[in-house]
Amino acid sequence: MSSLMTSVATVTNVSRTFKGKTGVVHALDNVSFDLKQGHTLALVGESGSGKTTAARVLLGLDTPNSGSIEILGKTLGSLKHEELRLLRREIQVVQQDPFSQLNRRHSVERIISAPLIAFGIGDKESRRGQVIELLKSVGLEKEHLRRRPHELSGGQCQRVAIARALALDPKIVVLDEAVSALDVSVRAQVLNLLRRIQEERGLTYLFITHDLGVAHYMADEIAVMFRGRIVERGNRDDVFNKSRHHYTVGLLSSVPLATPSTSKRSREQVQSLPSPGLDDACLYRTRCSVGLGREDCKTKPLHVTQGSETHSWLCHAPVEHA
Amino acid sequence: MKNALIVNNLTLSVPSSKGRVRVVDDVSFDIPAGTKVGLVGESGSGKSLTAYSLMRLIKDPVRIDKGEIFIGDREILGMSMKEFRHMRGNDISMIYQDPMSALNPIMRIGAQIIESIQLHSDVNHAQARKMAIEHLASVGIPEPDRRIDSYPFEMSGGMLQRVVIAIALSGEPKVLIADEATTALDVTTQDRVLTLIDKLAAERGLSVLLITHDLGVAAQFSDEIMVMYAGKLVERGSVNQIFSNPVHPYTKALLDSRCDYTIDVTKPINSIAGQPPRPDNRPEGCVFSPRCEHVQLQCREGVPPLISVQDRLAACFRADELYQVGMVH
Amino acid sequence: MKFKSRFSFSGFLILLILGICLAAPILSPYDPNAIGVADSFSGPTGSHWFGADDLGRDLLSRILYGGRITILIAMSATLIALIIGTLWGLTAGVRRGWVDEFLMRTADATMAIPQILFALVCISAVGASVISLPIVVGILLSPTTARMARSAVVTELSADYVVAAIASGTKRSRLIISEVMPNIAPQLLVQLSINAAAAVMLEATLSFIGLGIQPPNASWGTLMLQGYAKIWNTYWFVFFPAMAVTITILAFNAYGERIRVTMDSRRSSI
Repeated sequence: MSSLMTSVATVTNVSRTFKGKTGVVHALDNVSFDLKQGHTLALVGESGSGKTTAARVLLGLDTPNSGSIEILGKTLGSLKHEELRLLRREIQVVQQDPFSQLNRRHSVERIISAPLIAFGIGDKESRRGQVIELLKSVGLEKEHLRRRPHELSGGQCQRVAIARALALDPKIVVLDEAVSALDVSVRAQVLNLLRRIQEERGLTYLFITHDLGVAHYMADEIAVMFRGRIVERGNRDDVFNKSRHHYTVGLLSSVPLATPSTSKRSREQVQSLPSPGLDDACLYRTRCSVGLGREDCKTKPLHVTQGSETHSWLCHAPVEHA
Repeated sequence: MKNALIVNNLTLSVPSSKGRVRVVDDVSFDIPAGTKVGLVGESGSGKSLTAYSLMRLIKDPVRIDKGEIFIGDREILGMSMKEFRHMRGNDISMIYQDPMSALNPIMRIGAQIIESIQLHSDVNHAQARKMAIEHLASVGIPEPDRRIDSYPFEMSGGMLQRVVIAIALSGEPKVLIADEATTALDVTTQDRVLTLIDKLAAERGLSVLLITHDLGVAAQFSDEIMVMYAGKLVERGSVNQIFSNPVHPYTKALLDSRCDYTIDVTKPINSIAGQPPRPDNRPEGCVFSPRCEHVQLQCREGVPPLISVQDRLAACFRADELYQVGMVH
Repeated sequence: MKFKSRFSFSGFLILLILGICLAAPILSPYDPNAIGVADSFSGPTGSHWFGADDLGRDLLSRILYGGRITILIAMSATLIALIIGTLWGLTAGVRRGWVDEFLMRTADATMAIPQILFALVCISAVGASVISLPIVVGILLSPTTARMARSAVVTELSADYVVAAIASGTKRSRLIISEVMPNIAPQLLVQLSINAAAAVMLEATLSFIGLGIQPPNASWGTLMLQGYAKIWNTYWFVFFPAMAVTITILAFNAYGERIRVTMDSRRSSI
C-alpha cells in the first residue's frame, strides 16, 4: 500500500450531516480514504455506520457538507452538471437488491444498453453486439436478451446489473452490498465472477458490506466504520489478526462461524446501550468495556494513530497485541 | 426423550403451468423437547413453508396435500381451526424476520404484550401490565417500566425483536419457531438476540426451530442441523457431525461455498454449478443429481430416501461411501 | 388472484358502448329529432324499442345520438384531465421543494371547490358547448389525477433502478420518459378509467340541471331532464337514459378496478 500505486479516487475529510428528529446526525464525520488502481477497498460497518452515505457521496449522488472528493483528477464539487454526467463513465455502481435495481418494464438488452444509449455509443446493431459480449462475460447467454427481470433469478439479475456496470468500461465500480441479498451458493458464484473481471479489466472496487467474511475475501484494504467515522483501517492481517479498535474486536467475535467445535470466542460482546453518549469524544465509548471507565475517551478529541504503513486506528486505548 | 414436535410426510404444493407441483416434498422430522434445531436451506428449499405449516398459516394457492404434525401429543392438521387457534401462542409460537412489521406501529408495545398475555391467561389489566414488565425485563430490555409505553418507531431493530420474542413467549409455548429472525439485524445485535434465545430456551426447556440461510448462525446456535434442498430434507445430524463431516453432497457443497474470514483468499470459492430447480422443473430421481459431483446412474433413476447413515440421516445413495471418505480427512 | 382468461368483460362493454354510440347514424332507426305526433307517449313497442317521447321522437335514436354527445364530451374531458393532471403531478414530483408545495396546495384548493358551483360559474361565463364542457369537466377532474401522478413519480424516483439509471449517465429528461413513465403507465390507465366514469357522471349531472347540452341537442343528461317530470306515467323517458349512464359508469369503473387488481397481483408474490 505504498505511494507507488496510483490513486484513482480520493475522499478527503468528508462530512455529511442530516437534520434528524433528535438533532443533527453525522452520517459521515471527517472521513478520508482513497482507492488505489486495481485494488479493492472494503468499507465495513453495521447500520448507521455511514458506509452507504460514503458510497453515494463518491458516486456524486449526494453532496457532502465539507471536504472534497476527487475522481481521476477531477474534483466533484467543481464540476458542472454535464461534466459530472460525463465523469460517470468512469465510475459505476451495483446495488444490493437484484430486482429493484433493474427496470421491471425493460428487457435485459435494454437495461444493459441503457448506459451506451445515454452516451450515444454506437448504433442499435453494434450495441446489441456489445451487450451480448457483456452477457457472456458475466456468465449469461444470448437468450437472456429478451427476458425481463421478474423472469430471472436473484443471481441472474445481479449478473445483469454487473454487466450494465461494465458497459461503459469504467475504471471504478462501487459494489453497495452487492452480494448481501443472494443465497450462499449464488454469492460464491458472484464473488468469483467479480474477482475474475477485476483481474481481467484492472478494475478498482469500493466494496460496501456489513459482512466481514466477504470483506476479508475481496478486499486488499479494509476500513471499519462506526457512526460515521473510520475507526480502524488496514490490510487483512492488520484488521483480522491484529485488531486494535474495540469495535473491530467486538464485530469479529460476534460473527458466527460455521466451523465445527469453535467454542465461542472469548466474547467482547458489544453491549446494548441505554443512551448513545452523543457528546463523547469517542462515539463507541458507551459500548466499550474499556472506554466506559476512561475519562479521555469521554473528553479528549481523537486523532488517527498510524500504527504501521498500512494500519491505523482511532482509539485512545487500543487493544494490545503481544 | 419426549418429542416436542413430530412431522410426518409433510407435502405442500402450488399450482403451475404443469398442474400442481410440490414445494415441500414428503418431509418428516421430529424435535425432542429442549432441543434447538437449525433448519438450513437456500431460497426455494421449502424451509419457510415447512415452518408456516407448523403454525397452520398456509393459504391458497399453497396447499398442504398430506402429512401429520404432532405438537406434544396432539395432531394439529386434522383439528378444527377453532381448536388450533388455542394452541398458537400457548403451545407453539413463531417470530419472523422483520420486527417492524410484526408489531402494530400505532400501538404502544406494552399494549401489544398485554394483549397477548390476556389472550393466554385469565388476568386483569393491572396484573397483565405487571407481567408485561417482567417479560420485557426477561428479554433484556433496559428500564422496562418506562419502555413499556414506547411506540415501535422509538425503538431499534434489536430491541423490537426482543419485544417480539417476549410476546411470542408470553403464552409459555413449548416450541418456538424463529424464521430468519436475525437476518435483518446487525451482526452484533444478532449475536445478542440469539444468545437471548439460547438463554430463554435453556431456562424454559423450550424447543427451538431456527430457520436460517446463515450457516454460521446454525452452527453456533443449534444442537442439531437439518438441511433442505428443493423441497426435500436431505440431511440431519448433530451440529458437530454435520459441520465436521457433511455427507450429503449438497450439504458439503453448501459448506464449501461459504465465504467467511477463515477461507483461503487465494483461491476462487468452491461454488456449486447451476441453480436449484424450479418446482415445476424438478429432475427425475434425486433432486440434486444435475449439480452433484458424485452422481451415478442410480441417482437419476430413483429418489434416495432419508435413511440412517452411521451417526446421522442422509438422503443419498452413496452416503455410506461419502461418510467414510469424509472420516479419513 | 389470477384472471383465467385475458378477456375483460368490462373492457368489451366499454368498446361496445363506444362503438354503438359512434355508429349512431347507422344504427338508429329514426331521425332523433323527427317529430311524429301519432306515436307520442307510446311505451316500448315493436316500432319504438325504447318508446317515444311527448313529441313522438324515438327514444332509442335519441339515446344513441345522445350517447355520442355524452361520450364525446366525457372522453375529451378525460383526456384533458389526464394531460393537465399528469403534467401537474409530474412537475410537482420531479421538482419537489416549493414548486411541489405550491402545485399540490393548488390541487387541494381546486378539489375543495364544490364541483357544481365551479361549473355554474364557468359555464355562466362562457356558455355551454361541446368545447366548453370538456374543458370545465377536465379541469375539475385534473387535481385528483395530479395527486396520483405526483405520488407515483415520487415513489418511482426513489427506486433503485432510477439510481442505477442516473449512475449510468441517463439525462434527467430522458429519465422520466424512458425509465419512469412505463412504470407509472398502469396507474395512469386506472386513473383514466376512473376519470372517464366521473366525466360521464359530471356531464350527465350538468346537463340534467340545465348547465350542459341544450335542446334540441340532447345528451343523456338532457334526456333525463326532459323526462323526469313525467316519470310516473311515462317511466321510459327517464329510465333508458339513466340506465345508459349507469351501465357506462359501471363499465369504466369495473375496467379500472380490473387493471388495478392485475397490477397489484403482479407486484406481490405468493
